[in-house]
Amino acid sequence: MAAVSVQAKGTAPRRRRFTHWRYLFIPTALLLVFFVAPMILMVRMSVLRYPPNSTGGYTFAHYVNVLGDPIYRRIAVTTFMIATSAQVLMLAVGIPLAYIMAFKAGRWELILLLLLVLADELNPIVKIYAWRMLLGREGLINGFLMRAHLISQPVTWMLFGRFSVIITLATSWITYTTIPIYAAMKAIDPALFHAAEDLGAGWWTKARKILLPLAAPGIFIAMILVYIPMFTDFVTNNLVGGTNSYMLGNAVNDLILSTNNWGDGAALNFVLLVLSVVLSLIAYRLAKLNRIDV
Amino acid sequence: MKGTPMVQAAHADLDGEIALERVSKAFGRVVAVDDISITIPGGSFFSLLGPSGCGKTTTLRMIAGFETPDTGRMLLQGLDVTYVPPSKRNVNMVFQNYGLFPHMTVGENVAFGPKIKKWSRDETRERVAEVIRTVQLEGMEDRRPGQLSGGQQQRVALARALVNRPAALLLDEPLGALDLKLRKEMQLELKSLQQRTGTTFIYVTHDQEEAMTMSDRIAVMKGGVVEQLATPRELYQRPASAFVAGFIGTSNLITLRIDRIDAGCFVMDLGDGERIMAVDPGVGTSESEQTITVRPEWIKLAAAASPTGERATHVSATVVDVVYLGSVTQLIVELRTGERVTVHRLNDEVGAEDPRPGDRVALQWAAEHSFVIGAREDVS
Repeated sequence: MAAVSVQAKGTAPRRRRFTHWRYLFIPTALLLVFFVAPMILMVRMSVLRYPPNSTGGYTFAHYVNVLGDPIYRRIAVTTFMIATSAQVLMLAVGIPLAYIMAFKAGRWELILLLLLVLADELNPIVKIYAWRMLLGREGLINGFLMRAHLISQPVTWMLFGRFSVIITLATSWITYTTIPIYAAMKAIDPALFHAAEDLGAGWWTKARKILLPLAAPGIFIAMILVYIPMFTDFVTNNLVGGTNSYMLGNAVNDLILSTNNWGDGAALNFVLLVLSVVLSLIAYRLAKLNRIDV
Repeated sequence: MKGTPMVQAAHADLDGEIALERVSKAFGRVVAVDDISITIPGGSFFSLLGPSGCGKTTTLRMIAGFETPDTGRMLLQGLDVTYVPPSKRNVNMVFQNYGLFPHMTVGENVAFGPKIKKWSRDETRERVAEVIRTVQLEGMEDRRPGQLSGGQQQRVALARALVNRPAALLLDEPLGALDLKLRKEMQLELKSLQQRTGTTFIYVTHDQEEAMTMSDRIAVMKGGVVEQLATPRELYQRPASAFVAGFIGTSNLITLRIDRIDAGCFVMDLGDGERIMAVDPGVGTSESEQTITVRPEWIKLAAAASPTGERATHVSATVVDVVYLGSVTQLIVELRTGERVTVHRLNDEVGAEDPRPGDRVALQWAAEHSFVIGAREDVS
C-alpha cells in the first residue's frame, strides 16, 4: 500500500509538468533547428582536424592554437578594455538618467522613455556615420576646434580607434542599459528616500545605501543584456575602429571569412560562448543575491 | 535671526517643545495650511485630527522639514528651524507605510540613523539593543522587514526613529494599515511608549477615537485652520464648533431660538410649559438664533431620572427608532420642532423595557449640558 501511494504522489506532478510541452512544442522545435543545431555544427567544426571534412578525425588542436597564441590574449585584453569602458560609460549615464526618469521627470517621464526607445530605433549604420561626421579628421569637432584656434592640427585619435569604438558602442546600447535600471528603480517606494533623509542621510548616502542596492537587480540585468553582446561585436570596429581596437568578434569574423580557418574560428567562437555563459551566471547570481524577499 | 550665533544647547525648559507661529502653506492655488499658530508642549502626546485634506499631514511634513512654509516660522526647542532641512532637524518621522528599508535587516534599519551620525560602534550597538528592547523586538534583529507582520514592522519603524533620541517623534497615521484589534493594542502601546520615553509625540490621524485614546491635547483641523485645540475631555464636553461637535463622538445639534434670557440662560419656549435651555456663554451675542450641542448620553428620559430644576430643558418627543447597542440603547426621537435627536439610554438594569417607536417620551437635561457653539449663520 505504501509503495503504491508513493508512486501515485510521484506521478501526479510529473504528468502535470509534462503538459507544458504541448505549448512549448513549436518554440522548442524552432530553437532546436535554428539555434541548437548550428551550435552543435559549430562545436563539431572546432574539433575536426580539417573542417568541414571529417576525414582527418578529431582533435583539440584548434583550441590549443587559439588559447596558446599570445595574439588572441592581447585581443582579448583589448576587447575586455573596450567593452568594460563602454559599460562603465553607459552606467555613468544610464543610472542618473534612470533615476531622473523614475523619480524626478514627472510628465517628462514618458517623453524621455520614448526618446530612449527612439534612439535605439535609429539605423545603426546611420548612427555610426553620424559619429564619423562628428569625430573624423574633417569632422565637426575638429572643424570647431581648428576655427577656435585651440588646435593647429586636426585631432586624429578620435576616429578609427578605441575612443570611437567605445563611444559608438556606448551610444548603441544605452537604451538596453537604462531601461532595466529604470524598471528596477520604478519599483522603489519614494518614501524610502524621505525616510533616509529624515534619519540624516545626504544625497550620497541615499544613493549608496538605498538607491544602488535596490536598483542592483536592474543593473545586473542591464549588464547581461549589454556587456556580453559587446564582447562579440565586430560591426562597430569594422566601421569606426582601427588596428588598436581589433576585438575578439573581428578575430572570429576574419578567421572564418578571410583566412578560411574554420577550425580556429569555431574554437575561438566557442571559447567566447563559454565566457559569455560564465559572465551571465555571475551577473545572474549577483542580481539574485540582491533581490529582496518581500 | 540673521547674525545671531547658532544656539547649540536646547533650552532646558523648552525640551521637546515645538511652536508654529502664523504658518501658512499653499500648493498652487490650494491653501493647505492657513495661518495657524500652535504650541506643542514638550513631552506631550499631541494629535492633529481632521478629515482628509484638512492640512494635518502638511503641518506634520512642515515640522519634519519636507515642506517649507510660505509664511510664518517654526521653533523647535526655541530655535528657528523654518529653513533647516529634514536631515538636520532633531525630529524623526514614522511614515504611513513605515518606509522600512527592504534590503536591510531590522538591526540595520534601526542602526541607520546612528551610523550616519557616526556614533561610536559601542554606543550604536548599545542604543540599538536598548531601543529594540523598548519596542519588544528582541530576537528579530536579523530578519528582513518582509518577514515581519504589520505590527512588527510598525515597531521597527518606531525603533528606527526613537533610536536617534529625537526631540519629537512625528507619526503620520501610522496605524492605518493595521487591522482593528492590532490597532487598539498599538494605541495603548504607543501611549505607554510615549510616557516611558518622555518624547514629544505628534500624531496625525483622521480617527477621532484614536486621537481621544492617546492624546494629551488635540488640534482639530478643518480647511487648513485649527478649529479647536484642547484636551480630549474639553473637546468632547465643550466643542467650539458644530464641526468639532460632529467630528468628536456623536452629538446632537439643535437650533435654539432665544425667546428670553432667564437667570443667565437662553430659553426657547415651545408651548405647554416645554422649553429648551442653555447657559448663556456670556460672549454677548446679538443673534436671536443659536446652535447648541447636546451629547446623547446627557439626555434623560423623564421617567428614568429627574435632575429637575429651573435650569433644565423639558421637552416631549416621539420615538422614531430604537437600536439596542448592548451597554446603551440608542433612541432617535423627534422633537415638537421637527428636529431629530439621538438619546442614549444606559442599560444598567436587567429587564428594563425600552420604549417602542411611536411612543411619546419626555426628555430633560440640565442647562449646563446644552453647549452654545455659535450663531446659526456660522453653522453650515
